[in-house]
Amino acid sequence: MTTSPPRTPPRPARRRASQGRTALYFLAPALLALVVLRLLPAAMALVSSARHHSLVDGTTTFVGLGNYTDLLSDSQFWQSVRVTLLFSLVINPLQVLIALGLAVLLGRRFAGVRFWRSLVFAPIAVPPAVSAVIWGILYRPEGPLNAILGALGIPPQPFLTSSEQALFALIVLMSWVGVGYWMMFLIAGLQDIPQECYDAAAVDGASAWQRFFHVTLPLLRRPLAFVLVADTVANFLVFAPVQLLTRGGPDGSTNLMMYDVFRRAYSVGDINFAQAEVVVLVAITLAVVVVQFRMMQGKGEE
Amino acid sequence: MTSSPSRRTVLGAALGVASAAALAGCSGGRPADGRTAVRFLGPETPETFRAVIRGFERANPGIRIDYTPVPPDQLGDVLQLRLSAKDSAIDVYAVDQPRVPALTARGFLTDLNRIADRTKAAVTPEQYAVSSWDGTLRSLPIWTSTQYLFYNADLLAKAGVALPDAAPADRWSWERTRAAGRRAMDRAGADYALLLEQTDLYYGLQPLIESLHGGSGITGKDMLTPAVTTQGWIDALDWYRTLFADGSSPRGIPSYQLSSLFTSGRVPFFVGGPWNLGAFAGLKDFTWGTAPQPKFAHGRAVTPTDSWSWGVNPYAEHPEAGLRFMEYAALTTEGSLSTVEASPLIPSNRKAFDRYAADLADKATKSTAGVATIMRYELAHTAVSRPRSIGYTQFETVMGSAFSDIRNGSAVEPRLAKASGELVRTWERLR
Repeated sequence: MTTSPPRTPPRPARRRASQGRTALYFLAPALLALVVLRLLPAAMALVSSARHHSLVDGTTTFVGLGNYTDLLSDSQFWQSVRVTLLFSLVINPLQVLIALGLAVLLGRRFAGVRFWRSLVFAPIAVPPAVSAVIWGILYRPEGPLNAILGALGIPPQPFLTSSEQALFALIVLMSWVGVGYWMMFLIAGLQDIPQECYDAAAVDGASAWQRFFHVTLPLLRRPLAFVLVADTVANFLVFAPVQLLTRGGPDGSTNLMMYDVFRRAYSVGDINFAQAEVVVLVAITLAVVVVQFRMMQGKGEE
Repeated sequence: MTSSPSRRTVLGAALGVASAAALAGCSGGRPADGRTAVRFLGPETPETFRAVIRGFERANPGIRIDYTPVPPDQLGDVLQLRLSAKDSAIDVYAVDQPRVPALTARGFLTDLNRIADRTKAAVTPEQYAVSSWDGTLRSLPIWTSTQYLFYNADLLAKAGVALPDAAPADRWSWERTRAAGRRAMDRAGADYALLLEQTDLYYGLQPLIESLHGGSGITGKDMLTPAVTTQGWIDALDWYRTLFADGSSPRGIPSYQLSSLFTSGRVPFFVGGPWNLGAFAGLKDFTWGTAPQPKFAHGRAVTPTDSWSWGVNPYAEHPEAGLRFMEYAALTTEGSLSTVEASPLIPSNRKAFDRYAADLADKATKSTAGVATIMRYELAHTAVSRPRSIGYTQFETVMGSAFSDIRNGSAVEPRLAKASGELVRTWERLR
């Protein structure tokens, strides 16, 4: 009579390999999407940015960094970079501060708070093109905004037809759209802060401002970092209102880089040149986001 | 049976089902009714093409036309985007006639030389020429165009201004038109003096510039050298700038809304295309009339012309069916006339043009009394086509921005110099 050998449990290495395969199966759709929808287009953009197509003889040639040197010597590109940086410098702190203020205000419990939250959040549910059309009407020289200003005794403003005001008019529009959205993330962050922290601070005799600066802000660091980074990236990619309302004008004052890329790619039809600008735009965005991350980490360590 | 193959089988089956569903969704060329679907892209409302599509489908029961409208100012961008991606979901598309050279150079238009003889026989020589490039027929012309000066007779009478004459020999000057409009603002309460329907568009501004002998703006052997800083360009755009600076025309109202400002009875003059004739026909609130487009007092009479052709996408799924639809619309009298049934543009087809012009004269009202005569005169004597260059797309884009800035108050000479520099850089990259 023979006895069957005792079953030995699978060796840890084999088990790890098997688990790895299973994990890979589960991750495969996401990895595939990442490769096909993100990495491959990025690689294609890089390759395309090193080529040039001649409409005169119909040939496409490899030009290396030629498109980048052309871009860096193009005054319109530099104007677009300046406009984009100014736009980002104003709109990002503005939106985050307003969103934070609204989150603190509407994070409290009072009668009708849900209604007010919905009202602030509602613009994000409106398609960007529709928002642009609504604000295009408001900003008309003989439009409703100037009628209100007139009633207050303020002279009519040119808004989108002035190179001094157009960019700020877009900042107001985009903030109207975005602030409610970012506010929701911050309200969620506020609700995650344990009430005990506030109670302890109150016992220590902290004032409302002290509680805000020493309890709320430090514990809101992660959602704030997310909002700041995501908002910055979103604002680097603003396109629809520029295309619909100003087309980069007047005098290039609203020529944000994303619109400049579109104009070069599809209005002018120089796709290789536009790809070079896309690569530069991504590089600038990444650089700004890295700096933001470092700053937020630094604050946390303190 | 182990569990591993089973998971794979399930995953494989799921992928297969998903792929099949996706493929089924992609096979849009042959709809459930078994007819071949020709996908047609253009800038007009669906109503404009309803008659020609209905007529064609009746004559060709096996083919269905699926029309997708795109806003006119976005059509160029959309075509560049989709055709450069070799999108096969467009079979036939509307081609802005001055863009035929650029679209040909990019490989976006199919060679139609095999039907060149039939096309030459059917359409006017000018329209055959603008639909071709480098001796090859690349598209079939559907319409041509001109512009008229529409006026609000009631407002002018109230202001004590004599009405413009419909005879081309008595054409008004731009200066006189604007002065009369200002008078209507002062005495009859008009909001503005004059509206140019094609604000900031080269089509609408070329006649002003060429009236002052400024040239088309493109020169050189290969038509890739800008010439937008001549005295004619500066003077014409200076006039354009002051038109908006002194409030004679409104800033900040999009082109497509200007006709409704005229039909609201608030402006005495409106310079616009023949497509407005249909919309204005039903106007009951005030008396209106039609006169030739003005010229500058010390300039020559110049009017815009050309319009749309249709081309076949080289990557089309159904090029033959698409071409058959184009032939019906461009080369048959019945088809050509049906393209102007809802929107009275001028047909490029010779026989259809004669019928259209005769109809225009026969059905003329007091408001449109001279329209047929004006149209024939302008097309024969004053029409100037837009320049033919593979760089026209870039030209129109760069100059559109410059026109817009000048309208908003930028100084003319430096802005034109900036545009010229931008054109030099842009065209250099085409080489």
